[in-house]
Amino acid sequence: MSTAIDIPIGPQHPALKEPINITCYVDGEQVVGAKLRMGYNHRGIEKAGEYQSYIQNLYLAERICGICGIVHSFSLAQATEDIIGKELPRRADYIRTIGLELNRVHSHLLWLGVAAHEVGFDTLFMYVWRDREAVMDLIEEVTGNRVTYALVTIGGVRRDLPQERAEKVLRVMDLLEEKVKKYKKMCIDEKTLRMRCDGVGLLRKEDAIALCAVGPTARASGVPYDVRADDPHAAYDEIPFKVVTYDTCDVTARVLVRIDETLESINIIREAIKKMPSGPIRVRLPRVVPAGEGVGRTEAPRGEVIHYVRSNNSDKPFRWKVRAPTLANFLSIPVMLTSKGDYVVNIADIPIAFASIDPCMSCTDRAIKFVDVNDGKSWVWSLSQIKRVSHGGGR
Amino acid sequence: MMLQEVIDIVKVLVFPGFLFFSILGLLYEWIDRKFYARLQNRVGPLYTGPSGFLQPFADFVKLMAKEDVVPEGAEKPIFSAVPVFALALSLFAVLFLPVYGTRGIISFEGDIVVLMVIMTLFVVLIFLGGISSASRYSEIGSERAILQLLGYEIPLVASVIGAAAVTVKANPSLSIRGIVEAQSGLWSIFGIQALGFAIFLLAAQAELERTPFDIPEAETEIVAGWMTEYSGKKLALLRLARDVELAFLCGLGATLFLGGPQPVFPGAAGTVISTVLFVVKSIVVLLILTLLRAAMSRLRIDQMVNFAWKYLMPLSILQLSLAVLIPNLLAF
Repeated sequence: MSTAIDIPIGPQHPALKEPINITCYVDGEQVVGAKLRMGYNHRGIEKAGEYQSYIQNLYLAERICGICGIVHSFSLAQATEDIIGKELPRRADYIRTIGLELNRVHSHLLWLGVAAHEVGFDTLFMYVWRDREAVMDLIEEVTGNRVTYALVTIGGVRRDLPQERAEKVLRVMDLLEEKVKKYKKMCIDEKTLRMRCDGVGLLRKEDAIALCAVGPTARASGVPYDVRADDPHAAYDEIPFKVVTYDTCDVTARVLVRIDETLESINIIREAIKKMPSGPIRVRLPRVVPAGEGVGRTEAPRGEVIHYVRSNNSDKPFRWKVRAPTLANFLSIPVMLTSKGDYVVNIADIPIAFASIDPCMSCTDRAIKFVDVNDGKSWVWSLSQIKRVSHGGGR
Repeated sequence: MMLQEVIDIVKVLVFPGFLFFSILGLLYEWIDRKFYARLQNRVGPLYTGPSGFLQPFADFVKLMAKEDVVPEGAEKPIFSAVPVFALALSLFAVLFLPVYGTRGIISFEGDIVVLMVIMTLFVVLIFLGGISSASRYSEIGSERAILQLLGYEIPLVASVIGAAAVTVKANPSLSIRGIVEAQSGLWSIFGIQALGFAIFLLAAQAELERTPFDIPEAETEIVAGWMTEYSGKKLALLRLARDVELAFLCGLGATLFLGGPQPVFPGAAGTVISTVLFVVKSIVVLLILTLLRAAMSRLRIDQMVNFAWKYLMPLSILQLSLAVLIPNLLAF
């Protein structure tokens, strides 16, 4: 790396909407190494959760990620219900499933637009985002909100899905299916788009397994890992669906996995509406949660989300831990961005390769790292040291 | 004698010279943005003037009033001179274009060769501007601009020289005037020059750094490429220079391949009609360029150079040979 110059990408950069720093070592146009630095966006949500009740935490959890509008509140509710250990009404499970899948449709379409923009294909970007509005409006109608749904509550859901609204959902699904199929054809046929995506951001199957990649990133490398299928929750045990995998391991595979998953989601929503039983939508659960440990996991659009809750027989959690999918996928980034043998990474490939995991920094950042910008040294401070520094006294 | 000189100065400064082409450039930017937006199902500029038509003017005025920052490590003289030279160069280039009649303000035998030189000088300016800004993004942008030039320059020259082949039959000439006169019957595009026109459009797209060849200023990769560090007045001048260059290349395409401003009849009315003809034809070229921009993704620099040498280069040589050979064969 002696002849290489380092190019800092981020924490502020047009290709990245959120703060993260990728330092790429570049030799000419070729990237020979990459290093990630996180920790620009620590928000202390887990700690804040320890001072609020479980119900309040649902709405805090929802704000972990603006795109996964339902995933985090669902997982937290799931973890809490896991401790209490009471069965939910089936109808609530189905409505939750519909919420999760609507979320996936909107998130995958959003990502497709962003990916198109990263390779300079703004026309596709504009078209996809226009059609994404249809599902956003639908989400508002079904849950009450466009972004943070506030649909899930501990013991069920807060809003029913009456027949006429369900029919509207089905109508929009027909429209979206047609559009998404058109975009799939466009992504396969458009030559310049394929030139930018084929063979870029390579993550081989063995690397994906070794680095614990999750979600579409893993499935595009041929690893059939999907929490919905492996550990069925909500109503996924009664709804048949296909785990989409591709084995070209590049950005094209990730594009196609997400488009095919959108089509699968549309089918899941249809099936869920067809099979949805009648009955109550929630059960009343005690506000005080007995002491114990609970885990909630689901397949977010970006991959597996894990929420761990430890309770101490009060109405507030003792410890709440969130693992967002982007954290699991970050490890793959340096592999994707390092030229090796026949695999050449160009500077132009950095944005699309990075974006192909659908990174979400605000969900992921849990750490603060102290770095001296002049010499690059980093160190660890204890809480009392941080307090002393922030109050103006030295270390 | 005095009057003639005044008329000449007005010609250069107002019509059909600097002012006319500056306004035309900003107008073309609006058409480009509006059509691009409509292709993408957006509305585009909307509020400044009717249908947002004054938006490029407003952008220019706004940028002129903004703070002008020069980076600390920059080569200040070069950095500051580049925008001025870029505008001067593009305004010089438009003087060669015939807006009405068959000759521009400057017209002599061999003037298209000078135009080719000017187009290459543009890239040299871009290189200097980028390399003098002391920014890593600008440096990469500059390198890419030069690499890209290696790809498209020869096809561009070949397509322009090919366009001059229409003059071989009657009155061989390497001047724009000769090319326009030779097209008084049939436009060049109806014939072997259709291929030349296609090559010219692709090369013009690369010269203007627009998708799929906006590699030197790829937004998501290297911020704004060689332009990253420019701000305020300098950026305003650079953008105006870009717009005038856009008008110039559209006008050149219309002149070389679409017959240019054929003189309809003499007098003031003839001048107006001929000018309108020129503007309409160059807008047609502009719309094709915008369509290209909307329909594709950005290529990588290696892919661009590959494409240029594998396909564009052989095709341009083929088109040039055919354009020269066919009239000669027919003469036998």
